[in-house]
Amino acid sequence: MLARGLYRVFQSAGLLLLISSLWFLALSLAPGDYFDEARLNPSTSAETIAKLRDTYGLSQPLPIRYGRWLRSLAHGDLGESIAYNQPVSKLLAPRIRNTLLLTGTALTLSWTLALALGVWAAAGRNRLADQALRGISGVLLATPELVVATLLVYWAATTGRLPAGGMMGEHGGGFRELAIHLALPAIVLTAMAFPVLFRHVRLAVSESLHEPFIRAAVALGISPARLWWQYILPAAANPLLSLFGLSLATLLSSSLVVEVIFGWPGLGPLFLESLFARDTYLLLAAVVLSSLFLLAGNLCADFLLLWNDPRIRKAG
Amino acid sequence: MSGNRLALCLFLGLRALAPGEAPVQRGGTLVAALRAEPKTLNPLTSLDSPSREVIGRMNADLISTDRVTQSPVPVLAESWSVSADGKHYTVNLRQHVRFSDGQPFDADDVLFSFQAYLDERSHSPQRDLLIIDGSPIQVRKLDSFRVRFDLPTPYATAIRIFDGLAMLPKHLLEKSFEEGSVSKAWTLSTPNKDIAGLGPFRLKEYRPGDRLVLERNPFYLKTGQPYLSEIAFLFVGDEDAQLARFLSGETDLMNRVSARNVPVLRSRGMTVEDVGPSLEYNFLFFNLTSQAAMPGKEWFEKRAFRQAVSAAIDRQSIVKLVYFGLATPLATHVAPSNRRWAAPGMSAGTASPAKAREFLRSAGFKWDSEGLLMDGSGRQVEFTILTSSSNAERTSMATLIQDDLKKIGMTVHVVSLEFRSMVDRILKTHEYEAAILGLGAGDGDPNSEMNVWLSSGSMHVWNPQQEKPATPWEAEIDVLMHKQEVEIDFDARRRLYLRLQQIEAEQLPIISLVSPHVLVARSARVHNLRPSILDHYTLWNADELFVTPAAGQSEPRR
Repeated sequence: MLARGLYRVFQSAGLLLLISSLWFLALSLAPGDYFDEARLNPSTSAETIAKLRDTYGLSQPLPIRYGRWLRSLAHGDLGESIAYNQPVSKLLAPRIRNTLLLTGTALTLSWTLALALGVWAAAGRNRLADQALRGISGVLLATPELVVATLLVYWAATTGRLPAGGMMGEHGGGFRELAIHLALPAIVLTAMAFPVLFRHVRLAVSESLHEPFIRAAVALGISPARLWWQYILPAAANPLLSLFGLSLATLLSSSLVVEVIFGWPGLGPLFLESLFARDTYLLLAAVVLSSLFLLAGNLCADFLLLWNDPRIRKAG
Repeated sequence: MSGNRLALCLFLGLRALAPGEAPVQRGGTLVAALRAEPKTLNPLTSLDSPSREVIGRMNADLISTDRVTQSPVPVLAESWSVSADGKHYTVNLRQHVRFSDGQPFDADDVLFSFQAYLDERSHSPQRDLLIIDGSPIQVRKLDSFRVRFDLPTPYATAIRIFDGLAMLPKHLLEKSFEEGSVSKAWTLSTPNKDIAGLGPFRLKEYRPGDRLVLERNPFYLKTGQPYLSEIAFLFVGDEDAQLARFLSGETDLMNRVSARNVPVLRSRGMTVEDVGPSLEYNFLFFNLTSQAAMPGKEWFEKRAFRQAVSAAIDRQSIVKLVYFGLATPLATHVAPSNRRWAAPGMSAGTASPAKAREFLRSAGFKWDSEGLLMDGSGRQVEFTILTSSSNAERTSMATLIQDDLKKIGMTVHVVSLEFRSMVDRILKTHEYEAAILGLGAGDGDPNSEMNVWLSSGSMHVWNPQQEKPATPWEAEIDVLMHKQEVEIDFDARRRLYLRLQQIEAEQLPIISLVSPHVLVARSARVHNLRPSILDHYTLWNADELFVTPAAGQSEPRR
């Protein structure tokens, strides 16, 4: 099990290196740089722009820049933002917390709803409630999160019942303030993740219910509570554990868009801003971190599978 | 009390008593939105406009440009005098002025500030403004409250140099300056106590990605001001999101509203002020660089071709369809709102395809049986206009121009590129045929355009950084711009600049299109707002603004 775990960790590290290299290459080959906007300021001379580019090493050859970045990364330094003129880690720390708060809330809500309703729907398969839930999840599945988010922003702007964006009120913190600002973006992310999770939970539980060993357990007169907790749910868990890593990745990528729409101060707006501004090291760090979350989610799912399923442990 | 202070008090008093205007109320928070997060609080290194918007409220200049009259007004200076040869300026500083941390301000701070702006290690973009004719301005302390500025040559707009140069606290920045790290000072993570300015507000709180809050500077030089307790800047990424936050009552101001959003705001009873044409000019231009080896380059070099294109473009349609009537057609790059410098009697005129055809015929162009325009050697006239994909208005303009030029037989393609890719093509690789850009100098004075009009300028977009002028008319423009730079007499300068506009209208290196109006939206609770066509449009007089609870409105959600 340990060998398999270590193999997955090294595989993830290699993947991370590959992702960062491709992004670095793509960013460096893309025309333009951070100082292009300043170039259009008639009162800033070309010499000043050239000096600023030199200061940030933008005029150096690509391999040297990439080598330097990798070396600093190896020392735990993510580099320095050109735009903000400060270490990238200082900029990312509060935003990571905010992104994790939003995605963590949405992940909890969507899995709770999907598990509860998926099991309920599977237990009463083809009943009216099951059909209604399938219909609702179908509609949500077919609606892009951009549309849901835009409609909710419009509703908030016109009714004023909830804030149309941001994270905190005028006078700062407090759980209530945070909750009312979190509500709409979390609803959008939950609405986006729920249908996929619901359908998988429903299918996995339905299939478990029809396994021969379940029918045998029922015939032996095992109590319904024990039947569900010890037989049906563990049997349905494997595909759902695999889905966990995927759902984390989906939520993280969707949260970037939702954060931008709702002005949630997470990685999303910073990522977009650094992309448009060509703030290379900030963008690279945001990409590496997003990829790290994604890989961590998948690793987490892998380890849960190893822990849950003796067949996988044996094969490993 | 000085004469200026007395006049200001009288003005504010009368304003307070004016019918229909609410009496001044102290306290309260004004909430405005920024399109991006400020990148720094360091006046030396700020390049982006959100940083400048915030820094401008926290700092003060020696002499500022009044946003309404466009005349110089003293701020930290009490008065100034100019030597007869126009090369020496003596500035008398106000006394008893304190930074927002309570420390006194004097000539040493002025000396230090100019030293910091001029030092190459500071990487200050303002440094260019302080280099005149290749030499830096010399600053000398005469006594604790008198400073002398020596210019290498007479400089027409020397007094405007002081506008936008924040005076810095020597006691806080001297150490980092000596260590050569002043460019890294005053980032967004610097503790509040280590940042101080002379403006009406000082830093209270910064919440990454969400907002930045400024509080009243208790040591502000104008007694009793500012009236507001706080200004909160929310970071709201795009205009649609800003509109949503404004409509829901979360913000009080929209500093620059797009024309397309004006009907939405007005239909909801919001106040939108049309301040008039901005200093921004949108223009079409062709690639005239010597490196450009592309078919059709010889068309662009023909003046008659450019005249034909200009004559065929229906600027009124651009105003109506792109800006819903809230823009002004341009004959040259100088908007009519820039009254000191706009050429009288020059109008954009109406589109005339017939006149355009005459120009083309005179230059040897012909039309085939299908009405397509052919050059003298039988090649079809076809070219591509680049626009920025992030600017919907310019893309729409390009589409309308495509349609206008089709009427005279030209085949035009429109390509929208990501902004930086477009700038790269125009200014670095020169791989383009024609493009639409918008420039908007923050100052209406010709000196702010040296880089655009000098043939050696990096922003001489149609053919940048020439070693010597490629055409006689560019050589004449060079002479005009250099002359006006050192001419002290305003009327003489104006004549030189009018001649430049005349050449521009004749030669059409850039085909000016329209100037969008400055449109400002505000909630009913904001008072004393006097929007200007100069940046910053709304908060330039932040020290005079105040807020009241709006009648019939519940307390907005913040």
